[in-house]
Amino acid sequence: MPAILTVFFALLALAAQPAAAQSLPRFGAPERHVDAELLAATDAIVPGKPLVVGLKLKHEHEWHTYWQVPGDSGLPTRIEWQLPAGFVAGPIEWPHPKRLPAGPLVNYGYEGETLLLTTVQVPADLPVGRSITLTGKAEWLECKDVCIPGGSDIALTLPVNPAAGPSGSAALFESARAKVPQTVAGLSGQGTIENNRIKISLALPAGRTVDRLEFFPLEDGRVEPAAPQVLKHEGTAVELYLTAAQPVKADAKAIKGVLVANAGPASGGWAATVDMPLMAGTVAPAPAAAATTNASASMSLLAALSAALLGGLILNLMPCVFPVLSLKLIGLAQHRTHSGPMAAHGIAFAAGVVLSFVLLAGLLIALQKAGSALGWGFQLQTPWVVASLTVLFFLIGLNLLGVYEFTFGSGVANTRAADSLTAKSDWRGSFGTGVLAVIVASPCTAPFMSAALGYAITQPAAIALSVFAALGVGMALPYLLLTLFPALLAKLPRPGRWMELFKQFMAFPMFATCVWLLWVLAQQVDANGVALALGVLVAIGFSVWAFGLSQRGSYVFRWVALAGAVLAALTFAPLATSEQTATARSTGGASWVEYSPEKLAQLTSEGKPVFVDFTAAWCVTCQVNKRVALNTDKVVSRFAAEGIIRMKADWTNRDERITKALAEFGRNGVPLYVLYDTSGHPTVLPEILTEGTVLAALDKVKVAAR
Amino acid sequence: MKLAAVLVASLAALASVAQAAAVPGQPAPAFRATDVNGRAVSLADFRGKTVVLEWNNPNCPFVQKHYSTGSMQGLQQTSTQAGVVWLAINSTSQSHSDYLPPARLAAWFAEQKAAPTAIVMDPKGDIGRAYSARVTPHMFVIDPKGIVAYAGAIDDKRSANPADVPTSSNHVKAALRDLAAGKAVATAATTAYGCTIKYE
Repeated sequence: MPAILTVFFALLALAAQPAAAQSLPRFGAPERHVDAELLAATDAIVPGKPLVVGLKLKHEHEWHTYWQVPGDSGLPTRIEWQLPAGFVAGPIEWPHPKRLPAGPLVNYGYEGETLLLTTVQVPADLPVGRSITLTGKAEWLECKDVCIPGGSDIALTLPVNPAAGPSGSAALFESARAKVPQTVAGLSGQGTIENNRIKISLALPAGRTVDRLEFFPLEDGRVEPAAPQVLKHEGTAVELYLTAAQPVKADAKAIKGVLVANAGPASGGWAATVDMPLMAGTVAPAPAAAATTNASASMSLLAALSAALLGGLILNLMPCVFPVLSLKLIGLAQHRTHSGPMAAHGIAFAAGVVLSFVLLAGLLIALQKAGSALGWGFQLQTPWVVASLTVLFFLIGLNLLGVYEFTFGSGVANTRAADSLTAKSDWRGSFGTGVLAVIVASPCTAPFMSAALGYAITQPAAIALSVFAALGVGMALPYLLLTLFPALLAKLPRPGRWMELFKQFMAFPMFATCVWLLWVLAQQVDANGVALALGVLVAIGFSVWAFGLSQRGSYVFRWVALAGAVLAALTFAPLATSEQTATARSTGGASWVEYSPEKLAQLTSEGKPVFVDFTAAWCVTCQVNKRVALNTDKVVSRFAAEGIIRMKADWTNRDERITKALAEFGRNGVPLYVLYDTSGHPTVLPEILTEGTVLAALDKVKVAAR
Repeated sequence: MKLAAVLVASLAALASVAQAAAVPGQPAPAFRATDVNGRAVSLADFRGKTVVLEWNNPNCPFVQKHYSTGSMQGLQQTSTQAGVVWLAINSTSQSHSDYLPPARLAAWFAEQKAAPTAIVMDPKGDIGRAYSARVTPHMFVIDPKGIVAYAGAIDDKRSANPADVPTSSNHVKAALRDLAAGKAVATAATTAYGCTIKYE
């Protein structure tokens, strides 16, 4: 840092001087930002055996030097050797570079510390015991936002000894060697070019996976260095979309470069040199816009699993799940003295949760494979599912109020059932609770889940299923821990009358959920449909009331309860057969344009800025965002002032085109907010919006579009 | 988060650049700007003449390479004497430490005994982006019909070492020679090398 300040002040001083006093504005003292040192992998030279040496470049913070192909600007580092007779130095063996953005441009190079390897041929007739000095001159261009040519005389003296051992820098050489790209057996590919679009199709060797892939061209002027590179998975193969440099060299027959997967060997990935045939053909535009696909949206498997685990944990706090599970826990607390069978409960519950998630995921994948454009929340895109969930929540609410007792196993919230904690049938009840928890959780898609699920859907089935399983484990975790370690139960409040009250109180979040589901249903069907659903609720209410009476000994009411249930079913029938009748209605006011890919393409090609709101009535986050960020006066007037067209992609009902558009951004659920600037470039906004984030995004895009 | 935002913003900027690249065989993007003396300069005024555009930044070692050896000034002199219009353009942002105000920039050119037709100020980077100019020196030759005849590097030796100038082959000189002879430019596009332009 101080060195940078020195440069800055030196420049200030220069600028202040009278023009005539200075010819070339130069930097005051020749400030060094890169240190060079020549090292060897071994502690001696072995006659007749190649010697590996390395130029260690240590860069000051934020400074860099360049790879063999420097990208948009810069110069590759060079070594001019002056070697004793018989010694011959090979070319630099370059570790893979990284992308170094500089404003709108991108360079390829190194930061921090790097070792450029060179293999030196050693003559066989060297007298043992003598010392030999290898000398040379290294030249490079060191850059931060300014560039300075750098150079250094380098020298290394080693004894000649047939029994050479590893030098003190051997470890450094090992890690540098690992970063030098190799040809990889089984890695084959080919390039296709159409206009300025290049697609590299790769077959990966068995066992190699790719979450992130970067291509560094080994020829100048072939690939646009700064263009985003978009990765797409096609079964076990991958496709990487590149942009050819202008002017496009049409005569090329091959494309050579270095592929760096998952950030390279130092991060657990790999680097390979490739030389592929390049043929003219059709190349579809890159599937996903922008860098999101390759840079940020492509999560590593571990990140996806952790996100899913966290999302699962958070699901426990959702209003639709919390009552169910908290009461289940209370049931446990009442029996804190028992220990053995509790673990069985916990495991059964966890199994129920995980299995349901995996089944749901399996269904989702199978349906997708079958060609249905579905995404997370697909369950809610069918009116009868929404109606059924309303009934379910209503039933749970009535149960919590004590209208009837639930005799399905240990019961959803039936504290009395916990009396028979040791009963054999009981673990089945816990399993059932697990299944139910997943069903009631499905409307409460936590924001975290969207990204994790978006990732899962684009992966092979095994990975997708493990992500869903992680989600289940996360959700089951608190309960599982409490049952496995009953000592923790002592930390829970003591049971008492408050529990009964708490249980009854928990009915109201359930009824609130019913209201919300009915509102969703109202977006999908007409007033008659909603009336039908409400009618079902009345009949159900009547039925379980009678059922409750029968449970208290008035057996006559069994028949009444049955009659009520039949009535409910009859009322439900028309709903079950109705596909959604009403198309989703715009709720955001007249100024929103309805989304269609054609319309969007037309607007962006006309250079109009567009904001697309991917939303659904059943998405709570979407509704909150709309309230607190998108429909505030400030944001609305700012949209108007900038002439930004607001487009609404409503996914309340199934819409394949919207599912496809979401997938292009690596998403599988709503909300998704995308802002296209005047050059048609999309910026993805966060899933949870505030007025501030929206306004800041508008500021940024305004700058970028200029 | 900040990094991602920067990335997205820079990609957006790139997208707008890429749309409007100056490619050999295509019409040169029109522009209007002021030179270091405050005079208006418009590309359209030079229709009928061959125009050379030279992206310049005195603080760049690659620019210094070609001025310290006198090769850039020499080419400016011989070509402007032959009726070619030579515009040196500086797209350095005012916020960058390399920025020189018009008077300072003019003084530097005078010091170098340089002979461009005009020294154009482009601190907003509009002209640079329109031409997709990346580096200094990035060179463009526009034929009398307003078509880009050459785009790319000044010569064939990618280095910042002045000692390389005498042994390298100057692409701009060759393109001007071809145009003067009424021939198609043999090498119409190369990859420019140099310092990144310090865009706003």
